Formats: sequence, C-alpha cells, structure tokens
Amino acid sequence: MRRGSRSLFIVAFLSPAILLYGGFVVYPLIQAFQLSLYRWRGVSQNRKFVGAENYQKLIHDDVFWKALQHNLWLLVVGGICIFVLGLLIASAMQKDSRLVRATRAVVLFPQVISLVVVAILWMFMYNPSFGLLNATLNGVHLSGWAHAWLGESKTALPAVTVAFLWYAIGFYVMLFGAGMKGISEEVNEAAELDGSHGFHKFRTITWPLLWSVKRVAAVYVVVNVMNVFALVFLMTQGGPDRHTEVMLTYLYEQAFSNNQFGYAAALAVANFIVAMLLSFGILAWMRRDPQAARS
Amino acid sequence: MDEARSSGGQILKKFFGNTGLMLFAATVVVPLLWVLITSLKSGPEIFGSPWSLPKHPQWQNYSNAWSEGGIGRYFWNSVVVTVATLLVLLPVGAMAAYVFARFPFRGSKTLFGVFLGGMMFPNFLVIVPLFFLLKDLHMLDTKQGLVIVYVAYSLSFTIFVLTGFFQALPGELAEAAMMDGAGYAKTFWRVMLPLAKPGLLVVAIFNAIGLWNEYSLALVLVSSDENRTLPLGIANLMMVQHYQSDWGALFAGLVIVMLPVMAVYAVFKDKIHQTMLAGAIK
Repeated sequence: MRRGSRSLFIVAFLSPAILLYGGFVVYPLIQAFQLSLYRWRGVSQNRKFVGAENYQKLIHDDVFWKALQHNLWLLVVGGICIFVLGLLIASAMQKDSRLVRATRAVVLFPQVISLVVVAILWMFMYNPSFGLLNATLNGVHLSGWAHAWLGESKTALPAVTVAFLWYAIGFYVMLFGAGMKGISEEVNEAAELDGSHGFHKFRTITWPLLWSVKRVAAVYVVVNVMNVFALVFLMTQGGPDRHTEVMLTYLYEQAFSNNQFGYAAALAVANFIVAMLLSFGILAWMRRDPQAARS
Repeated sequence: MDEARSSGGQILKKFFGNTGLMLFAATVVVPLLWVLITSLKSGPEIFGSPWSLPKHPQWQNYSNAWSEGGIGRYFWNSVVVTVATLLVLLPVGAMAAYVFARFPFRGSKTLFGVFLGGMMFPNFLVIVPLFFLLKDLHMLDTKQGLVIVYVAYSLSFTIFVLTGFFQALPGELAEAAMMDGAGYAKTFWRVMLPLAKPGLLVVAIFNAIGLWNEYSLALVLVSSDENRTLPLGIANLMMVQHYQSDWGALFAGLVIVMLPVMAVYAVFKDKIHQTMLAGAIK
C-alpha cells in the first residue's frame, strides 16, 4: 500500500516535466538527426529520404567551411583573449578595495542585458558616421585609422569578436576569481615565504592549481562560441560577403530563407558534432590533476 | 627567486591591479552610459557630436519609443510571457526536482542526466524540428506556444538548481509530516516547498533574466507584430529606424529593455553570482 502510493507519487510528480521536456526538447532533438537525412522544403508530402546526401553536399559547400572557420577563429582568438584577460582581471580582483567592489558590481552587466542590446550597442559603436569609435579616433587626430568597421571584410570579424568578448568575459572573470579563492591561504603564503611572487607565483602555483576551473572555462568557451548566433545575425547578417558568417547564421539562412530544412538539420548536426568533439578533446587533454600526478 | 625578477613582477602586478582594473571597468560601463546619454539626445546631436552631453534632455524619445515605436506593447508581451513561463515552470520543475532529490528509484540517475543534458546543447540544434512541431500544434506565432517552449527549455537548469536545494533540506521535517498522516503530495506542498523558497527565488530571478532577454527562439517561433517580445521588437525597431532614423527613440528603447534587468541584477547580485558559479563548477 505504502509502496504503491510512493510509486504513484513519483509518477505524478515527474510526469509534467517529462511530458514537456520529452515533447519539446528530446523529441525534436531526435527529429533533427532524422531530418538531416531527408531532402525537404517544408511541405510534408515532398519529404524524400536521401541518406547522406546533405552531408556530402556539406563537405563540398564553401560557405559551410567558411562559417566553420569563423567559429574556430572565434574559439581560438576569443578563447585566448578570454583566458589571458580573464585571468589578469580576476587576479587583480583578489584583494578587497573600493575599485574591486565597484568592478564586481558591474562585471556581469554585459552578460545580463539582452544580446540584442549588446548587438545594437556595438553596431553604433562601430557606426562609420556617428559611432563612438570613429569619433574618438577623429578626436585624437587618428582619423586615418577610422573604418567602416562592420562593413569592411578585413575588420568585420575582429569587430564582432570584440563585441563577443565584451559580452562574454564577465562570466569567466567570476569563474577564474572563484577558482583563485579556492586556492588555500596556506598554499599562497607558503609560496610567498619561498620568495615566489608575481608572474613566477602565477606560473608555478596559481596556473597549475586552477586546472579544474580551466577545464570548465574551456568547455564553456566551446559551448559559447558554437552557440553564437544573435550577435552576428543582428550586427552583420554574416556579411560583408560572408566574412562573418558562422554556422548558426548559415543554418538560419538555409532553413528560414531558402527553405532547405533537411540541409539546415544537417548543419545543426554538424555544429553539434564539432562542439562535442571539441569539448571531449579539451576534457581529455586537460584531464590530469597535476597534484594527483605528483603524489 | 632573484630579487630583480620578483620586484619587476610586483610592479607589473600593481599596474594590472589598478590601471588595468579601471580600464576594464570603464570598458564595461562607458558603452552603457553612452546608450543612456544618447537616449536623451536629439537626432542632430546624435550625428553631430557622439561624445557630448545632450543640451536639453529629450524625454519625448521615451514616449516616442513607448507608443509610436511599439515598445509599450512589446514590453507587456515580454511581461506576460515571462510571468506565464515562471508560473508553469516553477511548480513543474520543483515537483520533478523534489522527486530526484528525495525519492531515488531505478533509473532516476539516468533520467536526471537526461534532464541535465539539455544545458549543454544549443537550442538552435532543434530549431527546425521545433518550428514544425509548433506549426503542427497550431501554436506557431502564439504567446502560449512560446511559453510552453520556454518552460521546456528552462527545465534543465531549474531542476538542476532545485534538486540541490531539496537535497540540502533536513529530512526530519518531511518525515514528521508524513508521520502526522500527511501524504507525499501534501508534505511537499505544505512543508517542503515553503522551505525551498530561497531556491525558488534564485531560480525565478535567473530564469526571468534569461527569458526577458531571449531572442533566437522567439525570432523563429513568433512572426506577427502583436506577439513580439521586447528583444524582437527592439531588433525590429532598429530595422525600421534605418528608414525613419529616429535614433533617439531607438536608444530610449534600448534603455527600456536593459533597465529592468539591471535593476534586478543590482538587487540580487550576490545570489546571481553564486548560482552562476554553482552551475558552472558542478
């Protein structure tokens, strides 16, 4: 009797979540893989099984490779900047001062405001006629350096990367900061008694002891970068001439402008596989706890 | 180590410590202040002198954005969608989290893992099938459809955080209630859920910020102007302003989108930081 009512309770309490999650998350997820094997323009009768055709098309699609390249550029350039700047800022915030407290109060602002605001804000920073960036350059008599930042093929991707960094970095600063707090006082004091300071201490103590936080951060960078859509979609639509196209903006174009839904699903799967490979690669590469290895 | 090197390191550290930190804080704050200031400028001022303060604050930019720009309507749509999502999400998520935390059964770990998996893959992976699923259910371009999708995609995080909270609650209280003859469900609603209020608050704040800002799913699932949420509306306003060029109203719109979130963030800053990091360092 009691056992029966327990099972009944479990089923009753879990089923709303399972129905919603199963119906709107898991089921479409499975369908995404299925759909990538079909040629389909959105009309249900004309759904044709084509096997790996979409994937073969993908391999010969220059735009796909270009988009993937841009994702990887964001990952490498953005990732390095996030690690270097994030660690520097986090270590500068380890003491307690008014400046540190003020910084802590604003560090996540870019992260909590909508990406739409971030995108529009940066479009106006880069605006050639009244943006802050060119106005500043003109103001300090460097008008030769002024650009139509988002409109020129050479500057567009770096410009988008800066906006991405501005939006993303706060989270990593907090993450690295928490990791540094986790390194015990004793370890820090012992290191300083041994005469280890500054960069030397960072290299021998802080950096190796942050191993688990670094892993988490690296995986988050991968997830963040493979997720980039709104920023690029709003700022450049992938232009000029696809110089900022990323995988998800290309997916959106194939699905909702060209009605190539099967092909778009293949792009989604490709995006997923790349993200998985990169994440697992990082986890395997950074697996070792350096402390465990020593003892 | 040798003296020169370590003192060089100290100087470097000081430099990054103060100048660097100030530079960083300015990089975060200046663009946001610029939006605020620009939202009070007239059109010619915006074009003529990007760095200057407005001569006379143009408060009508805000009323223009609110009524002619449609921001008022988008604002209420966002309020309705966010509140409705939370009203469904919180009980559904709490019920599931309670079971995962206190009533292990065969396969419950696996099921929990399936729920958590949703935090790792990008929503856009499923955007095509999801679009057609809502189309088949005749829920495309409706607020109800958007709410259901938002609930489903917020469950992973919600269940993850709340399970932790229920695990941390003392079990004796639940047992005492059960002894008194309250059933499983009554124990949950009367005793355990009220105890989990701090957890519910954190989850509500976190989800509210995410939902208020959400753009990608709404872009695909909502098409008509009457159902647009704020992020969609402001993005649309930007396209429209290319032709009408009332940039002051656009900047006022940006402030209207940001302000509620920044207010919530300012109040609950510490809670938000904790939860964010707890989610990251599992």
